Amino acid sequence: MQQQGGNPGLPAEFPHSSTSPAQQRPPYTVPGSIPRPGPPSWQGPPPGTQFRPQGVPQPSSGAPPTLANALSNPISPFQSGSYQRPVAGRPPGPPAVFQPSQPSLGAPPPFQPSTFGGSSQADGSWSPVSNPNSASVGFSPKASSTGGSPFSNVSPVPSTFGGSIPPPPTSSSLGSGFPISSAYPAISTPVTSFPRPPQVASGPGARPPFYAPGPYNLPPTGHQFSSAPPQQPPPSSFGPSPPSFGAPPQFGTPTPPQFGGTAPSQGYYSTGPPPPPPTTPGIYAGEGQQVGSYGAPPLAGGYGGNLQQPAQGLVEDFQSLSLVPLPGSVESAVDPGMLPRPLDSPDDVKSTGTMNCNPRYLRLSTNAMPNSHSLVARWHLPLGAVVHPLAEAPPGEEVPVVNFVGSSIVRCRRCRAYINPYVMFTDGGRRWRCNVCVLLNEVPIEYFCSLDENGRRRDADERPELSCGSVEFVAQTEYMVRPPMPPVYFFLIDVSISAVKSGMLKVAAETIKATLDKLPGFPRTQIGFLTFDSMLHFYNLKSSLMQPQMMVVADLDDPFLPLPDDLLVNLSESRVVVDALLDSLPSLFEKNISIESALGPALKATFMIMSQLGGKLLVFQSTLPSLGVGRLKLRGDDPRIYGTEKEYLLRGSEEQFYKHMAADFSKYQIGVNIYAFGDRYTDLASLGTLAKYTGGQVCYYPGFQAYLHGEKFSYELARDLSRETAWEAVMRIRCGKGIRFSSFHGHFMLRSSDLMALPAVDCDKAFSMQLTLEDTLLTTNTVYFQVALLFTSSTGERRIRVHTMATPVVSDLGEMYRAADVGAIASIMSRLGVDKSMQSKLEDARQTTQQRLHRSLREYRNMFAVQHRTSNRLLFPESLRLLPLYTLAICKNLALRGGYGDTTPDERSAMGFEIMTMSISRLLKLLYPAFFRIDEFLLQGGKGETDFMMGLPKPVPLASERLDPRGAFLLNDGLRFVLWLGKVLPDEFVKQILGPEFAYSPDLSKVALQEHDSILSKRLVAMLRELRKMNPAVYQQCILLRQGEQPREGNLVLGNLVEDQTGGLSGYADWIVQTYRHISQKAS
Amino acid sequence: MALELVLGILTFLAVAALLGILIYQLMCLSDLEFDYINPFDSASRINKLVVPEIALHVGLSCLYLVFGYWLIFLINVPLIYYHGRLYLEHRHLVDVTEIFTSLNREKMYRLIKLAFYILLFFLAIYRLVEASVHALLDNEHA
Repeated sequence: MQQQGGNPGLPAEFPHSSTSPAQQRPPYTVPGSIPRPGPPSWQGPPPGTQFRPQGVPQPSSGAPPTLANALSNPISPFQSGSYQRPVAGRPPGPPAVFQPSQPSLGAPPPFQPSTFGGSSQADGSWSPVSNPNSASVGFSPKASSTGGSPFSNVSPVPSTFGGSIPPPPTSSSLGSGFPISSAYPAISTPVTSFPRPPQVASGPGARPPFYAPGPYNLPPTGHQFSSAPPQQPPPSSFGPSPPSFGAPPQFGTPTPPQFGGTAPSQGYYSTGPPPPPPTTPGIYAGEGQQVGSYGAPPLAGGYGGNLQQPAQGLVEDFQSLSLVPLPGSVESAVDPGMLPRPLDSPDDVKSTGTMNCNPRYLRLSTNAMPNSHSLVARWHLPLGAVVHPLAEAPPGEEVPVVNFVGSSIVRCRRCRAYINPYVMFTDGGRRWRCNVCVLLNEVPIEYFCSLDENGRRRDADERPELSCGSVEFVAQTEYMVRPPMPPVYFFLIDVSISAVKSGMLKVAAETIKATLDKLPGFPRTQIGFLTFDSMLHFYNLKSSLMQPQMMVVADLDDPFLPLPDDLLVNLSESRVVVDALLDSLPSLFEKNISIESALGPALKATFMIMSQLGGKLLVFQSTLPSLGVGRLKLRGDDPRIYGTEKEYLLRGSEEQFYKHMAADFSKYQIGVNIYAFGDRYTDLASLGTLAKYTGGQVCYYPGFQAYLHGEKFSYELARDLSRETAWEAVMRIRCGKGIRFSSFHGHFMLRSSDLMALPAVDCDKAFSMQLTLEDTLLTTNTVYFQVALLFTSSTGERRIRVHTMATPVVSDLGEMYRAADVGAIASIMSRLGVDKSMQSKLEDARQTTQQRLHRSLREYRNMFAVQHRTSNRLLFPESLRLLPLYTLAICKNLALRGGYGDTTPDERSAMGFEIMTMSISRLLKLLYPAFFRIDEFLLQGGKGETDFMMGLPKPVPLASERLDPRGAFLLNDGLRFVLWLGKVLPDEFVKQILGPEFAYSPDLSKVALQEHDSILSKRLVAMLRELRKMNPAVYQQCILLRQGEQPREGNLVLGNLVEDQTGGLSGYADWIVQTYRHISQKAS
Repeated sequence: MALELVLGILTFLAVAALLGILIYQLMCLSDLEFDYINPFDSASRINKLVVPEIALHVGLSCLYLVFGYWLIFLINVPLIYYHGRLYLEHRHLVDVTEIFTSLNREKMYRLIKLAFYILLFFLAIYRLVEASVHALLDNEHA
């Protein structure tokens, strides 16, 4: 709504809302048409542009602040003390260094309102503020929004800050901060993180880079939108709202748009707001006044709102979809064009201030914690966090490394939390108060530093742990139970006839050989091999040998090691032998005719070899294990079991052996990755158990053929081997008193009630967890979350990666909804759905998921049903505008879709394992794949060589009516590409893409896309290459498909068109109508 | 009468042993909850005693049956059936990989069984006392 506020249109809306439903709608649409360009601009480009400019404007911001301060000071709540305090302190001096934002923080909070109001239009002026503030500001507003009181409560801090706040104005001193930045080098670790300081110097400019990578880059898309509007009427209707959406969920830039509309609520995300204003002004000329209102909104919660937003009280605080009665029937329907879709927001990663960790590492399902059980009970959606501890950071944003040379890491005595930017120093710097448990700790002598007049440590800007939300500590010996292990890779390869025939063995051997140089941890890396069919083959790789020696063990009941050592050897010493083995492996088993697979005994033997060190075990399995312990039965092919109470057994492990094995592996720090290749049932549900409890992953290549899938397998294996891996890791998430994480979802094993054991974890694994309230009432204003991952790096260093985040506590359900993060919610919900499918029928899993949607929207509707006309309208918070769509997509996902006939049990299991490890951005892509028409793009070519991708067509809604037999469409779900060729596509086009030999082939399932000597083919391949670069986690294979080619078309494309009626579930529009009915029935 | 006394002593000892096993298992679970031991040890300690407990309980019930205490035997039948089902479905052992998610369920299950065994315990004491009193009285009469 607030967005609307930003738009001129908003005011108009108010009246509408009050008037009649019919009229209400128009307001939206109307503004939409105009704003459209605007909203897009917000989300994408505008912010970016603004940011950069902001850097310059800063000074201007400085001036206004004073006014703002005057306002804000009285309203101390704002300052929210604890959060900002640190910040406030900074402004005076060094602020600039790490957190450009902080300096601004001190000053900015007050400013922002003022800046926005007044100078926002001026242009970037406010923006600088926003940047600096980012973290701190965000909070303070929140506090205010929550009622201000929370923050004010912060008690200890507030008082100090209250005083300090004024100083911030001086924050203009940002410049001064720079010198400090120079101090940085002093910090033990030269780590990349430091680069920031320079940015700081640039002032706002520094920030921009941060943000820029994310949403800002989007600008292009934004442009597209504006151009797009004609084509996408639907979005327009939402248009206004979308910005708002983006904002609430996202602390960072996205939020800004929101502010305009919902100033009060959005106040939370202080950072966000600034950006939007600039854009908006530009967009809506003459809205200067309104803009002012924007600025105000953030503050509004506390005070600013009162001044500037008297009228906003009338604004609807929610978004809605109107249901229009169908002519001649009792039914009503939704205009499909108006449905919210994630087409425009490529990625919803938002940035927060430097005080909080970047959202790529940690996201909460709502950025406002409920303070009581009753609020939790009314929330209905999952309440928790999604943690991606080792997420890949873009260059320049790597996590800084901190080394406490000669002293131990500073931690709280009681709760063991690590020192972080939110701790408060008192007593002249001799003590610090833990922000997590409020205990007063002594500052170690080596760590002592005096405080400045604001109570802030003078060296805070030189110490990343006091200024950055994410740091990596170098751990001393007390964090080791044994010397740090070297990276260990062990390959357990099936060499039965199917593995040889499909070419798997050859591709695997070649890939491993090619990747040997890239294995991390040289020269300590260790490596070993074991192959098996009906017997086990061990390889002596002793470095003094010229050729590897193979030893065969046929005793499967009690496998033993033929050699005590030399089965696992140092790679750099035995490189020649390893090379020779990999060269000879394919030919060695070329004539193998064994069809048996003794995986169980092979695993036991491997365990004996690896249990000394731990490491990573890669299992290549191409048939159903058939010999020895752990043999599995063909159990997935029985349709009779579906729909019965025992259906879930198919999705769990059949053999206890694998669970026991997984527990043993986890205990001895062995992480297992499963590569399965069977063209028939291989019982992935059982095999995957090994990966599930050891932090591994499952890669499934159904019907593997080297010429078709070789490239994909090779890429993914190489990535698995070469990506940075954290060894023998444990992870724990701490949070403030009164809150506890109670359930965890992902691939790991719990070693104690909240300690996750991760023998080998890498940048592609995310974990989610849900929390519960232990106390009946939370009395604090802020809750802190701290994720700590203790691991051994490949270089043999013990490290602790710590991500810290602060979240306001609220007492109002509306605030929770406004601050909801739909990405995190979708991620947790899909994991819960998969978990549920392990214990009950698919139907139940889908229903549970759907019920969550219904309950939460009903609760939300009830909040507004009294004051507003809500008939024939589906109400939802802006932040959750996509929730109905994602819920529908979760229910239609391969893991939960349909029943027996819809997919094979193996594919379902593989998808389930995939979802349990996926990061949020990849999951959203999977839930709502990008779908676009590419024939015209290929014919015309991109806009120049350099910006080839610029001309890429916009994605269209995932509905089959969009398929045009005259066109070619590409479906990109983040796991693969499906290229759909229309029936009446010109022959020449098809011939150029497929090559002459396959142009008329009726069955494309066995055709691999190759680059041919034609411009179309070259462009296509180049385009796919570019798209793949954006998603390095997997190799997205391009699957070719001709229209009407059943059943492949149904499985690959039609089944993924989420908005269609598929898999026994209704289409998107019907889904909305159903949801509305469900909600209104129960509500009345 | 001596037979009654022997039975009384046997059942008393058996029920006491069952109680001991159960209390030990509960201790393992709560130790795990408070992070005093790791899940591997906890699970293996608990699992070591699962089959003995089932066997002991079946043996005790048979004893009652053989000596003609139909009522007490019938009271035990549901638990025998439940144990049998768990065993046949391979669910009788604690799953170390999921021990934390099933912690509350396992504790509840064992607490209910504990209450049941305490009931048996009192019955056994009553039997024992009754049998010994009878034995004494008989002796006096003789």
